[in-house]
Amino acid sequence: MSEKNETVIALLGQPNSGKSTLFNALTGLKQHVGNWPGKTVEKREGYFEHGGQKYKVVDLPGSYSLSASSDEEIITRDYIAGGLADVVCILADSSQLERSLYMLADYVGINVPCFLLLNMCDVAEEQGQKIAIAALEEKLAIPAVLFSAPEAKNYGAFYGALARAVSEKKRLDASALDKKYSEIAAYGKIKALLPADLMPGFSPVWLAAKAVEGDGPVCAKIRAALAAAGEEETRQAFEAAMASVSGTTAEHRGVLLTGARKFAWIDDLLRDTVTKPAQEHALSKSDRLFTHRIWGKPAVIITVLLGLIASFIPALPFMALGMGLGALNAPVRELLTGAGCPLLLTSLISDVFIRSLGFIVQMLGFVFGVTLVFGLLEEIGIMARISYVFDNTMSKLGLQGKSVMPFLVSFGCTMGGAAGTRVIDNWGQKVLTIALAWAVPCGATWAVVPMLATVWFGAGAPLVIAAILAIMILHMWLTSKIFGRLLVKPADRQGMIMELPPYHKPKWAALFRYVLGRTKDTFFRVLRVVLLVAFLFWLLSFSASGRIEDSLLYIVGTAIEPFTKLFGLSWQTFMAFVASSIGKEGAIGVLSTIFSGSGAVNFGTVMGETANAANLNELLLASVGKPEALAFILAVTFNMPCIVALAATYQETHSAKWTAIIAAYYTVGALILACIAYHIGLLLW
Amino acid sequence: MEEILALLKDGRSRSVEMLAKELGTSPEDIRRKIEFLEQAGIIRRLAETPAAASPCAACHGSSSCAGCPGCCPAEGLKNMGTRWVVQEA
Repeated sequence: MSEKNETVIALLGQPNSGKSTLFNALTGLKQHVGNWPGKTVEKREGYFEHGGQKYKVVDLPGSYSLSASSDEEIITRDYIAGGLADVVCILADSSQLERSLYMLADYVGINVPCFLLLNMCDVAEEQGQKIAIAALEEKLAIPAVLFSAPEAKNYGAFYGALARAVSEKKRLDASALDKKYSEIAAYGKIKALLPADLMPGFSPVWLAAKAVEGDGPVCAKIRAALAAAGEEETRQAFEAAMASVSGTTAEHRGVLLTGARKFAWIDDLLRDTVTKPAQEHALSKSDRLFTHRIWGKPAVIITVLLGLIASFIPALPFMALGMGLGALNAPVRELLTGAGCPLLLTSLISDVFIRSLGFIVQMLGFVFGVTLVFGLLEEIGIMARISYVFDNTMSKLGLQGKSVMPFLVSFGCTMGGAAGTRVIDNWGQKVLTIALAWAVPCGATWAVVPMLATVWFGAGAPLVIAAILAIMILHMWLTSKIFGRLLVKPADRQGMIMELPPYHKPKWAALFRYVLGRTKDTFFRVLRVVLLVAFLFWLLSFSASGRIEDSLLYIVGTAIEPFTKLFGLSWQTFMAFVASSIGKEGAIGVLSTIFSGSGAVNFGTVMGETANAANLNELLLASVGKPEALAFILAVTFNMPCIVALAATYQETHSAKWTAIIAAYYTVGALILACIAYHIGLLLW
Repeated sequence: MEEILALLKDGRSRSVEMLAKELGTSPEDIRRKIEFLEQAGIIRRLAETPAAASPCAACHGSSSCAGCPGCCPAEGLKNMGTRWVVQEA
């Protein structure tokens, strides 16, 4: 009792145990908020009166346990050790006693009178739990009370338990846990040699357990006391006992040893005192499938493929809209010419702007579709299962499970994937992950490629997409074989624990907001790149004579064509491939300019009759054969992602050498792939 | 808890439910032990959205990642569950 004749109650509990609610309800407006001396942790004190007795309530900082790993825990311990509290009220969440009683278990061995408050008993009741409070009290030897903060009637029980704890000075029974601790050899030894009255209020049971855990302040106190007593033999015995619980292989062995006993003690405590309805721990049907060792992978692959096919459906209206925009080209050109607009400007507007815009709108359809379908998969919880299934595949690539996330992010953007490798602490693994992430088709690829595939292959486009995914897996496997040995040493792989999110229904409004936002962002980004590249190539294709043969683009293009033919690409598609290194959208910019038909830059002479077709889709279809188209699509897909991804790779790897190696590898790889695809295409069509 | 760590040594990743099944206990028991191991600093929770956790090359230095193509969108990849790895010494 403090000098003012008040009884001091300290509230002890884990975060979210309802401490603050109780504190506010007890003290009302009579509160004082400050800081604990020398710490940035908030100190809250308050007052109340009950039955003519004054009480002071101290809200101890919320912490997981009473170890010395944080400021909060040290403050709590010091406060209790300071003897300032007459009684400690320990809070636990009734709805999950197995975990929330850990604080109580860690309090065992402290001699300050206490009582247990089982908060949120209403939730536990809803779950069908029955808590035999009297039996629990008997086992613990302290008052215990079922409580739920919002219910006024509970406060009577609270005041009753408080009064009993204060008047009877009840201390928590430590014998059961002491017995469990005694299974640890070092515990018994340490307990036997502890000096008396080492820390006021803390019994040898608590102190020896903390010493086994390697608790810094406790060990320091014991060492100091033993040194002061000058008993060299005892000191050596202590050090020997300590050494036995801090092996090199498992640094935290002591913590695990006592921790396991504390949980076992909780289980013993709850065994006859708490009954709950038998819980079905069976996995849901879909989880049984996704986590199946054999069927998990096929299930995930089929899900992804179906998702991709499904994403074509919302894209169709955009395709029609984009083509409609493209068809505006001829009327606009006529209108402008009729209005006496200079030929140059007419060409710029119709060839660069309208064509590009038509293309971009078609692309956005796929951005919208893919974002919607995969956003939905993520929202309902399937994405997490996909990442779970592929996690174990990572070891086949020489990687840790941590690489799954960067790969998934790379489907959106390779830069994001590269930044995501920061969770990987091993440099070689990090570089390898980035090198492999480049093979993952990014968001821009998902915009450009399905659209191009639809132009040339129509309903066969999903097949092209499936082929791209198959090649991606092969590419990643091959790349890991090529670079793996240089970057990753075969080391022990540590498994990961995953808490899969529960399945839930999608929030459609939020999902659509997200998808539309992403589509809008993509639109402006793509618009910039496409228009810039289209304009650049339009300039290059311009000649004073008006003849394409005199333009710089044509001269360079035809000069390099013998070389580009090696990969099955004409000079036009090769130029588009080169532009795709800057950003995948660049390819579209080039195509829309080079293949534009008439006007100042007359490609008609190059491309013959086809140039008269009004629509770019038809133009492409007529001037580029399917084998070349396939070669081109694959070359663009597996080319380096973009110039910014290159910068991101350098930023994350801090290695110009490896950034250059990866970039060169992807450029060459894309061309080899194009060559192979072209020759396969020749056999097919 | 030592049994959980021992299982993880084989390099496979497991869901909470799988761990519970393999160790013949309940998912709640696994969850409280995960919490314990995390609090003790033996295992570490991975950043849930890695890209959002650290600015990328494109928006490095700017205060917000909004609209940056390199960053995980703030609304994206939220429902991916939680993952823990053993803290390397």
